[in-house]
Amino acid sequence: MQTFLQIIANGLMLGGLFAIVAVGLTLIFGIVKVVNFAHGEFLMVGMYLTFLLTTGLGVHPYATAVAVIPILFVLGAVTQRLLIQPLMQARDEHIQIFATVGLSTALINLALLIFGADIANTPNYGVRSQIEIGPVRILEGQLWIFLAAILLVIGLQLFLARTNTGRAIRATAQNRAAARLMGINDRFIYVLTFGIGAACVGFGSALIAPLYPTSPTIGTYFVLIAFVIVVLGGLGSIPGAFFGALIIGLVDALSGFYIGSDLREAVVFGIFLVILILKPSGLFGTRVSQSHVSP
Amino acid sequence: MTDTTMKSAAPPARIGRHRLGLIALGLVLAALFVIPVAIGDEFVYHIFITICIFAALSTAWNIVGGYAGQLSLGHAIFYGIGAYAGVILVNMGISPWIGMFAGAAVAVVAAIVVSYPCFRLHGPFFALATIAFLEVFRVLALHFRELTGGATGLMIPLKIGWEWMVFRERLPALVIAFGMLLVCLGVAWAIRSRRLGFHLVATRERESAARAAGVGTVKVRLIAVAVSAALSAMVGTFHAMYLTFIEPASMFSLQLSIQIAMFALIGGIGTVWGPLLGAVLLVPITEFARGALGAEAIGLHGFVYGVVLMLVVLFMPNGIMGVLSRFASGHREATGDEPDTHIAAVARSDAAPRIGDPVLRVEGLQKHFGGLHVTNDVGFTLREGEILGLIGPNGAGKTTVFNMLSGFLKPDRGRVSLLGPDGEWHDPASPGDFAALGLGRTFQIVQPFAAMTVEENIMVGAFHRHHAVSDAREAARETAHRMGLGRYLQDEANSLTVGGLKRLEVARVMAMKPRVLLLDEVMAGINRTDVKRAVDLMLSIRETGVSIIAIEHVMQAVMALSDRVIVLSSGEIIAQGDPQEVVRDPHVIEAYLGKEFANA
Repeated sequence: MQTFLQIIANGLMLGGLFAIVAVGLTLIFGIVKVVNFAHGEFLMVGMYLTFLLTTGLGVHPYATAVAVIPILFVLGAVTQRLLIQPLMQARDEHIQIFATVGLSTALINLALLIFGADIANTPNYGVRSQIEIGPVRILEGQLWIFLAAILLVIGLQLFLARTNTGRAIRATAQNRAAARLMGINDRFIYVLTFGIGAACVGFGSALIAPLYPTSPTIGTYFVLIAFVIVVLGGLGSIPGAFFGALIIGLVDALSGFYIGSDLREAVVFGIFLVILILKPSGLFGTRVSQSHVSP
Repeated sequence: MTDTTMKSAAPPARIGRHRLGLIALGLVLAALFVIPVAIGDEFVYHIFITICIFAALSTAWNIVGGYAGQLSLGHAIFYGIGAYAGVILVNMGISPWIGMFAGAAVAVVAAIVVSYPCFRLHGPFFALATIAFLEVFRVLALHFRELTGGATGLMIPLKIGWEWMVFRERLPALVIAFGMLLVCLGVAWAIRSRRLGFHLVATRERESAARAAGVGTVKVRLIAVAVSAALSAMVGTFHAMYLTFIEPASMFSLQLSIQIAMFALIGGIGTVWGPLLGAVLLVPITEFARGALGAEAIGLHGFVYGVVLMLVVLFMPNGIMGVLSRFASGHREATGDEPDTHIAAVARSDAAPRIGDPVLRVEGLQKHFGGLHVTNDVGFTLREGEILGLIGPNGAGKTTVFNMLSGFLKPDRGRVSLLGPDGEWHDPASPGDFAALGLGRTFQIVQPFAAMTVEENIMVGAFHRHHAVSDAREAARETAHRMGLGRYLQDEANSLTVGGLKRLEVARVMAMKPRVLLLDEVMAGINRTDVKRAVDLMLSIRETGVSIIAIEHVMQAVMALSDRVIVLSSGEIIAQGDPQEVVRDPHVIEAYLGKEFANA
């Protein structure tokens, strides 16, 4: 029983971590309707930034978020403006896929050129210390990530539901032409949304860097899991992504223990394929191929 | 220069440029073999062998990713299967020449199992699913150590000679790699220039129009995937022998899958030669970076790849071949004469139409979309040689009825029976079944195959009854001239006007020579002269015994054409019978104009 509870706790904590990566991806997908294959590389860039700032300035990794979030926002906004925007009208959707795949390839290899293939360990300032909650032990940093993920999801939901900008974003997602007729600058909305999506992962990377060693390919692993979560949670649904992340975290932890740690990914991707093929709208989505920000 | 000289000079010039292009491509191909042999340097050999391998893989990928438009980013699955099958069998003492066929067989099975459920996914989701399958294969290859050696990988035993595909010198390896490239190019060319290629591109461009033209869209894509997987696996077997060592991370690699697709995109996706050009230009960058700069340059080639890929999608999305073909085609001259832009006038006998026995029976069709009752108990019979007008206000459910009559929608209740050429009644279920029984339809919202010329568009219809390309082309040309599309034969379908696209839609279905023709608002957007000619054309089609149901808003045409009219309103038949009488029916006037007009 003790072991089982510990596995559940590990799964939930992992889920929180996945959620913080997946939220930005689902936001970009839901609004801009682009599958951002470079999302994992945004995470990688954010983690390297955290690493550099922490070691260079000697500050707590969480404090670097102040710088990492705006930098990632700009990275996302520039990506949308220079790479995605010119391709929005492309007849062939392959073109958009290749564009973000190209960005992903370029960023991974740029990191390889600069940092080499070795891993970079961000100083953890004690966030790797274990704390006991009832019968289970978790890392302090994991708990912070979990709480941050909840805050991020609630914050984004409030932003989209309550602010004028948020309403404009949702309107653009639902009907671009109608939104333009209402005087919304759709291009600006897309740039903003892509920026916010990237900023979310920037927030995540400041929290993740002290727990996970940074490497050029770290993003690939996380982004594939994030895609699983986004599809599972219903495309574009932010709460869906959160609960999807918890489910995948639990599946990962449970299958790692009961089936074998080397087969965890096969189980996760197996579930992904089943969902994708049998229920493409996801567990929490109700409408196929229609993006919706709130469930 | 006068008009006539331009006309006569233009086609030979274009053919000349075209031939020049082929010669240039032939030279590129020959250079792949001649240059390394002439230089004789080990490293140069290695680069050219690698170019051949990647060009072959990319060409094989292009059959699925380009022709069929299914963007697979998991093609390393098949390459890896070929590699593992080859090495495992070699370790059991079986020659890779046999092993590569075993690998191809396994890859074909894997390809069909993986692809079949994924075909309903589009664009990025198909790509994501293939990535997920690739990850599963990689994890399984790591897990089953007894078979694959797990993470430590597998070595091939040191047996040298042609039998084992392992050589001390580089020349024989180049011969094999080059041979494989030729095989892949040959297969890709053969597919593209035959019926299968037309079917694949049609399916990619407009799946529903392809299905209406009788294309087995799932079948042709499965064939494409199977052929592509088999070729990739065979190349994989040889590459494993060449590398002498394989491991899951490098065999089932996402990076490799992306590279294969990238070469095709950069060279020109969906073209026969594009993948070759992409590989020729990009592979040397990798190998030079690796060989000349060593560990310092780790990541450099990948960085260049990524940047090139972004630049290509932004500035030349049709790749190198797109740029080249713009030069090759030059200026397109106007050929043909003015009358050709109109539907050909047809001589009709004035003999009274012979209306025969029923060919289509529709009974009690019911259809709901959620809470909306779109079709309520619609039933009628269509007779041989009859023209039935289907009219009704917007939203009456006319197109929904058509969709049920052609297999695109399944009615909730009721049945559609079609008299087959065999004289038996059938209850077809899918658009393919309907097409096979001789039913053709057009779409209200035109569905041209945008990447094809007008001629090729019509050929897709003609392939319904012709197998050979030359026969289909002949039939397509004849149909095009009848429909006034003769002068546009070589134009991109997208360059036509709305009226032109409507005519193309009809031409494609006419090229199928259907026995029952469903026409959905084909007169919309055609000018007055052409409406009259189109009416004559339809009457002449009917004289050959074809039965027609036409949804039409152009009343002039409805009245002139129809032997009988059915009026649909809110999903129900509210009136039917002689056209002159039906339009005077108060119910019909009310449905169109509202109650106050009914007694006017």
